[in-house]
Amino acid sequence: MDGLHDLGGKEGFGPIAVTEEDPAFQADWEGRMYALSQTVGAEDWTIDWFRYLVELLPPEAYITIPYFEKWCLVALTGLVNSEVATQEEILRAGSTPQSPGQPSPPPQDIDTVLQTVRAKCTDFSRPQERGPAFQIGDAVVTQRHSVPGHTRLPAYARGRHGRVVALHGAHLLPDAVWRGVEAAAPLYTIRFEARELWGPDAVEDDAVMLDLWEPYLLGV
Amino acid sequence: MTQNEKRDRAKVAEIHRQLHNHLPPDPALRVKALESLAVERGFVARESLDAWVEAYAERIGPKRGARVVARAWVDPDFHARLLDNASEAIADFGFEGNATGHLKAVENAADLHNLVVCTLCSCYPFSLLGMSPPWYRSAAYRARAVREPRAVLAEFGVDLAADVAVRVWDSTAELRYLVLPQRPAGTEGWAEERLAALVTRNAMIGTARDLSGGIA
Repeated sequence: MDGLHDLGGKEGFGPIAVTEEDPAFQADWEGRMYALSQTVGAEDWTIDWFRYLVELLPPEAYITIPYFEKWCLVALTGLVNSEVATQEEILRAGSTPQSPGQPSPPPQDIDTVLQTVRAKCTDFSRPQERGPAFQIGDAVVTQRHSVPGHTRLPAYARGRHGRVVALHGAHLLPDAVWRGVEAAAPLYTIRFEARELWGPDAVEDDAVMLDLWEPYLLGV
Repeated sequence: MTQNEKRDRAKVAEIHRQLHNHLPPDPALRVKALESLAVERGFVARESLDAWVEAYAERIGPKRGARVVARAWVDPDFHARLLDNASEAIADFGFEGNATGHLKAVENAADLHNLVVCTLCSCYPFSLLGMSPPWYRSAAYRARAVREPRAVLAEFGVDLAADVAVRVWDSTAELRYLVLPQRPAGTEGWAEERLAALVTRNAMIGTARDLSGGIA
């Protein structure tokens, strides 16, 4: 979808708020939210569904509210959408005692958490059903138009010429996975010259590398 | 209910609006509502949340990445394995995990500088570098890093010579990136641990380049 999340190349932003070191979390609620994001979900959630939920935030909220608050709204909306909770239950959560509830799972200590983090090393590759259409060195051009739903071809790289620099085998395709369909397609790293993306004032030899799935690409 | 009915964008957008308009505006209270629900529904025990926070605040962070970089500087075999398949190489340390199932190390050189961004969201190799810096998730960084990387780098104090090419890696798939900075001159013979202390978080994202400032 053409959403505000697709920020690459947008102009008008000010200087970066540079920091060299930061605490992991800037506030207690941020840490709580990260912990909740790792422990709460519904069976039909995937990384791509989560990302699409973020993209569907009201645009004015997307651009103004803090990072972890977006995660919170996304988790809550996702739970409502997956019928784990109702909107009404969420709006009174924490303010009035609710139904007896479910028993808690056994508490995790830090070593259990560290093991769980290691186990979250997810493999998104899938067996290739057929060979890739492009090889290293091939010239390609990206699709010109946006598609409805969740996709990972940024607007700034649409309709642009690039060159294949790496093949990664087949990976789960976000454009299908967000809908609950498990499909995979060959994934490539494509090099785009900065001048192809931004015009003649860009520095020669500067480049932007994107990881793009085969359906985003056409031969030249 | 079919999958498609459960993934209706208009419906999702409406739930977002309802919740955003009717929840208290304070994000801390919003997270509290989620926490109450999560505990009540048996997703997680409250004390486990403390353990998750502690894990990322104390144990998982850029010091992990720094150890990997220092190992690559001193051990040619590890250096080759890291560039070949970083996900497997970091498993030597037990640092594989959340968001590092597909990890690529990209190496700086005298004539090349690498910079990592995620323009579409804020993808980051959490199990290796910990939580992302606030600027990494900012709209300004996400918008500008691909279009004017040299101006962005200058704001971080990195003034690149014209003969140093910039490669910006936009994390659009499940590959995550680790910048392998250049080992500073004057550190010959240093032990791995001492070298690791020179490696900064920003250098591993690509918003720092020269690590010689840490040589006392």
